[in-house]
Amino acid sequence: MNDACRETALAELLPDRLLGNIGRALQQLLGPDAALLDAGGTALWGEAPPPEAARSALVLEIEPVAYVAATAPAKVAAAATLLAEILQARNRYVMVSELHIEAIAADFARLKAEHLALQESEARYKALSAELEQRVKEQVATLDERQRQLYQAEKLASVGQLAAGIAHEINNPIGFVRSNLQSFAGYLDRFEQLRARLDRAQDAWAEFDLDFVLADGRELLADSVAGADRIARIVKDLRGFSNIDRPQEEMVDLNVNLRDACAVVAGQKPEGVRLTLDLKPLPPLLCLPGLLNQVFLNVLINALQAVGEHGEIRVASASAGGRIDISIADDGPGMAADVLARVFEPFFTTREVGQGTGLGLTVARDVVQAHDGSIVLESQPGRGTTVRISLPT
Amino acid sequence: MAELDGNKLTFKLVYYGPAQSGKTTNLMRLHDLLQPELKGEIMTMETQNDRTLFFDLLPLGFRAPSGLLVKFRLFTVPGQVAHDGTRKAVLSRADGVVFVADSQRTQEINNGESFQNLADNAARVGIDFQTLPLVVQFNKRDLADILGEEEIRARWRRTAWPLTFACALDGRGVRQTFEALLRQLYRHVAEPLRLAAQHGIGEDAFVDGALGVGLPT
Repeated sequence: MNDACRETALAELLPDRLLGNIGRALQQLLGPDAALLDAGGTALWGEAPPPEAARSALVLEIEPVAYVAATAPAKVAAAATLLAEILQARNRYVMVSELHIEAIAADFARLKAEHLALQESEARYKALSAELEQRVKEQVATLDERQRQLYQAEKLASVGQLAAGIAHEINNPIGFVRSNLQSFAGYLDRFEQLRARLDRAQDAWAEFDLDFVLADGRELLADSVAGADRIARIVKDLRGFSNIDRPQEEMVDLNVNLRDACAVVAGQKPEGVRLTLDLKPLPPLLCLPGLLNQVFLNVLINALQAVGEHGEIRVASASAGGRIDISIADDGPGMAADVLARVFEPFFTTREVGQGTGLGLTVARDVVQAHDGSIVLESQPGRGTTVRISLPT
Repeated sequence: MAELDGNKLTFKLVYYGPAQSGKTTNLMRLHDLLQPELKGEIMTMETQNDRTLFFDLLPLGFRAPSGLLVKFRLFTVPGQVAHDGTRKAVLSRADGVVFVADSQRTQEINNGESFQNLADNAARVGIDFQTLPLVVQFNKRDLADILGEEEIRARWRRTAWPLTFACALDGRGVRQTFEALLRQLYRHVAEPLRLAAQHGIGEDAFVDGALGVGLPT
């Protein structure tokens, strides 16, 4: 560290320019033999004085640092007083300026250190904030994921309930089909007995009441066929609703699935809503049909809710360039851009509480993406909404 | 530590302390009271409403029998908190410190903060605060609401530093404070600088030389 309070050397107090000015002034005041000597007696300005010359010390702090010498003794002391004052003023100036510079440097160093510390602290907070944001995002994503898993689990539970209901339903037709078949087995026994008595055929016909057997037999078979049909229909409905019995991928004609989905919503649509299909032949697609049914159903239900009591829903399919393109368009009120931007967000819904889960399109997107496909919504307020699903074949 | 420069030994002594505790007044009274062989004028480096902006300097000195010039340069620091850079620069290379505390009860916190600042700045400029010759002066004993001597002694009992009590305005205790510092200083530097062995300066001669007692003026 510099020592700003050190004793100032004579050379610093009397730089050459100042020494020259003072020296010339001294010689004018005291005569040409005036000289300025340093503490050791060496001449700084002027000639070394003769021994008889008068000398007067210039005291700085407590020590003489220089001498004025001249042969005009009366004026030497006055000149020395004058010079000493000049030296002291110079000394003050030099000390203060050095101290000032050092103090400024110290303050600046402290400010720099503080600035650095602040920058570090700011960087730490920024990192912390970024990390926090990231963690919040992750937590939100986790929560959404959990919610969806919960929703799926609930859906599966409701599928289970449905299956239980269907099992109950199936018991009934199965019961009478079985009972009918046993009755019919009894009837066959009678035909066997008849064979032994064919010579007395007419009597025997009457005895075994075969007129009734024939009539009742036909009725039982018709009943059983009807029961079997009922079972088949119930099972078909079940298959149509969910893919629980078809977890494997399957080659399907998506037009069939589209028609199925339309058939489901057709029963719910109001009188004033027209549902038109424009389905072009499609190549078979390897997919999870149950999940895609869910997609079509979700989109169709949205369209149905959009048009309300009157309107048109157009379902179209086509195949081109190795892709299957499906569009489901409605002429409902459409959506504003800010709503459109959020439709795929989990739990985002514009419907009344309880009317929609806010998961329909989220699930649809997940399913379509699982098939390496894409789903986009085109909509403007007052211009209806078109959902375009594109799947690679 | 002071070093020999030719035939001259210079000590830098610093009056430190909170703002307006009487550091400059101490120096002014010393200038009036002391009669050393060599005594300069007080050099005051700019003031702002009588507050020290840079420092004050009182040069004193005496010549030892060996011909050695022993010089003391007594500095004050600016006490105001804002001038810490200046304070640090003045403290740099100090050989001894008088800490001038304000005895008023209302100034206790300022005293404490300033003393901490002294310790911090000493560390920053490379002074070993534990071995630094230091005297603590409680000034302004003439005022009304001040800490009692007993109370002060009790508080500072655990520290090694000499305590003095002063009223710099009328000069009471100013000289004693300086003497206490000189004795501390001598005990700290006499051996390494061979003051007694080489220059024939004993502790009393050292103190008397600076105060101006017992030596021809």
